[in-house]
Amino acid sequence: MSTKVAIIASNAGLFDAYKVFNIATASAATDAEVAIFFTFEGLNLIHKQAHHQLPLPAGAEHFAEGFKNANIPSIPQLVEMAQELGVKIIACQMTMDVMNLKKEDFIEGIEVGGAVTFLDFAKDANVSLTF
Amino acid sequence: MPEIKTNMTLDCKGLACPMPIVKTKKAIDQLEEGQVIEVQATDKGSLADIQGWAKNTGHHYLGTVEDGDVLRHYIRKSRPAEVKEEKKHPHCVSNEDLAKKLAANDKITVIDVREPAEYSFNRIPGSISIPLGELEDHVHELNPEDEIYVVCRTGNRSDMACRLLSEKGFNQVKNVEPGMSGWTGPLENAEK
Repeated sequence: MSTKVAIIASNAGLFDAYKVFNIATASAATDAEVAIFFTFEGLNLIHKQAHHQLPLPAGAEHFAEGFKNANIPSIPQLVEMAQELGVKIIACQMTMDVMNLKKEDFIEGIEVGGAVTFLDFAKDANVSLTF
Repeated sequence: MPEIKTNMTLDCKGLACPMPIVKTKKAIDQLEEGQVIEVQATDKGSLADIQGWAKNTGHHYLGTVEDGDVLRHYIRKSRPAEVKEEKKHPHCVSNEDLAKKLAANDKITVIDVREPAEYSFNRIPGSISIPLGELEDHVHELNPEDEIYVVCRTGNRSDMACRLLSEKGFNQVKNVEPGMSGWTGPLENAEK
């Protein structure tokens, strides 16, 4: 049976986004089954507009150049790659209700679900991560 | 090191983690089983990543050659049969027995049926490289009366080779088990 990787993304900084999507794409490329549950501010990582302009942490703005110099793919590119590799993206229904967001506000190809949707996947995961 | 024979070259130069891995995965999906890919990367982390990736996907990491700033990783796409194939050739010897024969300078022939890229990185001194896929074309170069030891990585390809040689009238053919994956005797590579 293949490795299962369950990730919770609950923060909306650019650093957080890279942690989430680098691990997700690397795992999926290594034949793991991957699901990410996006909740609270983490929803920004898959929000149609927001995920194009995620902020660097305060005081770390100068790293923008470092990302460019190291030829790091953009977050939208990583998201697309993750989806291509079969990473399951789940948006948290409860947070969407609180923030008054619709499924249409997010990128294509996501699922919307509650805590149990994620737990059902994560219960026999080999790797569980929270960012 | 001389040119290593590969079936595909993948350029990941200038790309950062996780791109070399993601691209390698996509590329290996295009390969036939048994074929070898060369992945060129400048990401220093790719050296450890490629090995971890191969370990987890079951593909065979052959080795890496450093060429200035470029790391050239060699990987062979594994065959499901390597794990499942039932062994049928009845005459087998252990790595240790072969090592003893070699140390005693017995007159034996060692044939390595792995791919040339695998042979380039590590091999038993004096062994002859004939990849399994080309064995049939080279049978006439071998003497059916010789004592022949056939080696591969885990003993599966060499088992197929032993059966092929037996069919062709070779009756002193022995399969070396497990083969190079467990070999602790003398080694040489193309650099030496």
